[in-house]
Amino acid sequence: MILIGIDTGGTFTDFIYKDGDKWGVYKILSTPSNPAEAVLSGIKHIAGTQDVQVVHGSTVATNAVLERKGAITALITNKGFEDVIEIGRQNRKEIYNLSYQKSPSLVPANMRFGIDCRINSYGDSLQDPDEAEIEKLLIKLQKNGAESIAVSFLFSFKNPTHEKKVGKILSKLDIPVSLSHEIVSEFREYERTSTTVTNAYVSPKMTQYLSSITQESGNDNLRIMQSNGGSISAQTAMRESVRTILSGPAGGVVGAYQIGKIAGYDKLITFDMGGTSTDVALIDSGLSFTLDARIADYPVMVPMIDIHTVGAGGGSIAGIDSGGSLRVGPESAGADPGPVCYGKGENITVTDANLFLGRLIPENFLGGKMKLYPDKLGIYLKKMAKGTGLTEVELAEGILSVADTAMEKALRVISVERGLDPGEFTLFSFGGAGGMHAVFLARLLNIPKVFIPKNPGILSAIGMLTADIVKDYSQTVMLDQHTGNFENILKLFVPLEKRGIDELAYEGIDTAEMVMERHLDMRYQGQSYEIMVPFGGDADNFIEKFHNLHEKKYGYCNREKRVEIVNIRLRAKGFAEKPKFTKSKIVSQKLSTDAVMGEREVVFDGRSHKTKIISRDKLKSGNIIKGPSLLIEYSSTLVVPPFALGKVDEYGNLIISV
Amino acid sequence: MKVNPVLLEVFKNRFSSISEEMGVTLNRTAFSPNIKERRDFSCAVFDKNGEMVAQAAHIPVHLGSMPMSVKAVIENTSFSQGDMVMLNDPFKGGTHLPDITVVAPVFIRQDDDTPFFFVANRAHHSDVGGMSSGSMPLSSSIFQEGIIIPPLKIVKNGKIDDQIMNFLLNNVRTPVEREGDFAAQIMANITGVKRIRELADKYTPETVDFYANRLIDYSEKITRKTIQKIPDGLYGFEDIMEDDGHENENIKIKVGILVQGDQVTIDFSKSDSQVQGSINAVYAITLSSVLYVFRSLIKENIPTNAGCFKPIQLKTLKGTVVDAEFPAAVAGGNVETSQRIVDTLFGALAKALPDSVPAAGQGTMNNIAIGGIDKRNKEPFTYYETIGGGMGATADNHGESAVHSHMTNTLNTPVEALEYTYPFIVTQYSIRKASGGKGFFNGGNGIVREIKLISDAEVTVLSERRTHPPYGLFGGKPGKTGRNILIKNGICEKKPGKFYEKLKADDVIRIETPGGGGFTVR
Repeated sequence: MILIGIDTGGTFTDFIYKDGDKWGVYKILSTPSNPAEAVLSGIKHIAGTQDVQVVHGSTVATNAVLERKGAITALITNKGFEDVIEIGRQNRKEIYNLSYQKSPSLVPANMRFGIDCRINSYGDSLQDPDEAEIEKLLIKLQKNGAESIAVSFLFSFKNPTHEKKVGKILSKLDIPVSLSHEIVSEFREYERTSTTVTNAYVSPKMTQYLSSITQESGNDNLRIMQSNGGSISAQTAMRESVRTILSGPAGGVVGAYQIGKIAGYDKLITFDMGGTSTDVALIDSGLSFTLDARIADYPVMVPMIDIHTVGAGGGSIAGIDSGGSLRVGPESAGADPGPVCYGKGENITVTDANLFLGRLIPENFLGGKMKLYPDKLGIYLKKMAKGTGLTEVELAEGILSVADTAMEKALRVISVERGLDPGEFTLFSFGGAGGMHAVFLARLLNIPKVFIPKNPGILSAIGMLTADIVKDYSQTVMLDQHTGNFENILKLFVPLEKRGIDELAYEGIDTAEMVMERHLDMRYQGQSYEIMVPFGGDADNFIEKFHNLHEKKYGYCNREKRVEIVNIRLRAKGFAEKPKFTKSKIVSQKLSTDAVMGEREVVFDGRSHKTKIISRDKLKSGNIIKGPSLLIEYSSTLVVPPFALGKVDEYGNLIISV
Repeated sequence: MKVNPVLLEVFKNRFSSISEEMGVTLNRTAFSPNIKERRDFSCAVFDKNGEMVAQAAHIPVHLGSMPMSVKAVIENTSFSQGDMVMLNDPFKGGTHLPDITVVAPVFIRQDDDTPFFFVANRAHHSDVGGMSSGSMPLSSSIFQEGIIIPPLKIVKNGKIDDQIMNFLLNNVRTPVEREGDFAAQIMANITGVKRIRELADKYTPETVDFYANRLIDYSEKITRKTIQKIPDGLYGFEDIMEDDGHENENIKIKVGILVQGDQVTIDFSKSDSQVQGSINAVYAITLSSVLYVFRSLIKENIPTNAGCFKPIQLKTLKGTVVDAEFPAAVAGGNVETSQRIVDTLFGALAKALPDSVPAAGQGTMNNIAIGGIDKRNKEPFTYYETIGGGMGATADNHGESAVHSHMTNTLNTPVEALEYTYPFIVTQYSIRKASGGKGFFNGGNGIVREIKLISDAEVTVLSERRTHPPYGLFGGKPGKTGRNILIKNGICEKKPGKFYEKLKADDVIRIETPGGGGFTVR
């Protein structure tokens, strides 16, 4: 049996596989019009006719939303609440934009239908749905060409009978039906409805895609990556497709977590800088999750790895604005025309600034396969510098520090704004442009070390291959601390656990391999944000744990105040086999002679420094790299500035001390 | 020191991140749904003279009034390390009593005797006492609107003054919630102070101060460029407030905008005198409205700071509805009159900038406050909320539907959160079809929100555009006027724009909000 991890990216589809003890990597061009093509051809290339187990990170659900190419979806709500999905939270995202427009709802007004029924906050039915009314609705749905249906009633998480009843009648139509209490059993109707609608909108696409892979590869051993960093079976992914949204970046973070842990680093900030944007995430002895995720402005209330994105990358365009300030981004030169140094671009970008300062080597760009034009940069920089009092070199360094400031802001959002000190973390850098900025960024935030993994390009595929099988369940219970005593809460977990065990068994996990993690979402009465508190074997102290966590997160707690238990949360996990990486022996601090490819002048802090050019492939465990140095890899360049010192660890990772 | 465009950009980012981080702290730690769910608050950073350096983009009506509060505090207080001052007095830089501002000085060294910077935040509290629950009454003097807090030191040397705090809490209907919200406001300032200090440590205090002022110059420069593009001339417009909840109707707001090169003089002095009811706006509100209008004409993404104010001169006459004097009732000036001031400004500017200015938006915030004793647990409750409506259409597109426009941007309270917390059943929440004014581009549609009571309660509604619709532009039709309806035993009763009434369980309150105006004809 061959294990294969597959990550579909914009340009390449990456494969990593394990055949017995042998690990291998394969990369082919993606086939955006039908992503299954690249996936199938890769599987065939790697395994031939052998048995395979595949874990796949798919962008099908994400793209269906971003490109608005999902199914024709209908929404059924309580009568009088059909527009909740369009009203949203009634605010504008840009307060000074006089022509502000919301993203149009995934379900237009003529596909939204109200049913006369209602459940109140105690879960009592005030009015039951009338079967005749639903039957009548079936005809309308058919006439309007519905391909998928979302049902979201108020307080369905308290009492799902109305949704179930309607769902049962709708099943006659033989199209997918998403019931809100099954997708996310939590309060806040707009966010729950949006999640359910998104699921209904993407699942037909996903079903079609996954069916074609299983059918054509003749193999149904297919697992799909979720945005919570775990995987699920293809069958589940077809029903609950919303859980796969944004799973690509999640794979990278899980990969960083695994590689970091093996090397002895469990507090990481991941930094994935690409051409147009940068993704950052925080790992504090475990992955961090958010319940406030959005895709293209639509809230998606399923637990996701907390990844924060900023519009700054290698292609970000720099310019002096009309007030005399140096701006970098959010506009990007993209791949076409691209930066000035690609030959066609007319706007100086971050990549151009790096090249101008000598931090990129034109001959080595993408393994020397792409020609760069450094000669043009001087003219453009000179033009931009005019009237600013800066030299071209100062301007180029300035562009980099402004870009770093934007990324620093992103890192602050996930650390400082969550009450954590970045100085206690290691910056884990991957992605094409990250290596040129990571060390400088670390210095800005007093982060002592930068970690650059051995194979940064396939980190996401590694993450997928090693991801556990994870199922998340939640339930709004809204108890105060008196009714919410330990025994009561434990009882409330029972149905969730039963579901977890059944569904993990369905995923092929042995009972002995299952782990159940329980959490409570708690808050002080009157608050409307909850803190996730571990709920474990100890009978009495979850209230105390909440006070302590509240203090840690927000700087104060109040033991006099009444505490509420809002949601209970269960994560059912089945362990996947983790890759074992062999340690290599520490050879020597000194680089082997063939590792040094030459020397060049590079500017740091306004001065030109003689800088060694080193081939990353030729480095051995134990090697020490003194700054200033440039390390060349196929897809990226790593800059070790004069103030930093790098060391290759036993797994081939590079650890740079700042 | 010479301006370095790199550092200018770096400081622009840092100051905005500081005010945003203060907002995150306030939002996360606050207690009341009004602050947490609806985000009715603002945070900002000020230099040592009280000049605003950066404000997080939260609530526009706080724009001009925050600086006035901070200046009032600076003039009246001698600060030591670890102090914070609280105020809400509308005649000393506040806007209306529920908006409480907390100001903290930033000291760099132990022995400094004057503050190096200030940070401040303002949050809308859902009750500050006064004649009716929610403190948005149909009052006729400020004394009926709640407790007036002149600038006073709530935190001394890092410790909350318990005597003052107890005094405040004894004067409001929901003290537990207030105490939690005050703590959050204090935490937000602690965060801001810490970050400014870190910045000074890293770059030296002199550099921080220098760039704070260069950023003010920067915003001024870009504001002037925007004004320069408006053709020189005098542009006038007038609109009305429908009533003050008492006897007075059709209260005139009249503006003349004189554009000369890169500066502008705005004259509201021909507006009507202040009235008995609570729709009087203090000067700070008029200033906020003016700033909002000009800030929204600037297309660049610039820091909103003192520089944006400098090319603009505002003239008002004391004792008018746009510059009310003590002891006028002002609860509704902040939320309702501010919207009309914006409508008059855009109405005038439409003549100069037909392609950039929108038709009138809903022009009201549809304030609704409900309070009483929850019969389920016998505890007092106060609910306050504002309801969105239609935005005006522009030369570019239809007006957006079911959103807040202009001077506010608060979120709604989810129906499920509402029903968990209050003795209500929401019976309808939908878009009010065909309420936007027709045009080449149509105005946005309003909202219908219908609430059925489970307990007896008193309700106060403060709304406008119930008789005079939001105007269309260049032949576009006006939006539909809003409607307030009470349903008792199945019988509908149409209510005026402003009313107070004691209601019984099972009574229903239905609010239909106005649509926006249309833009030109098809």
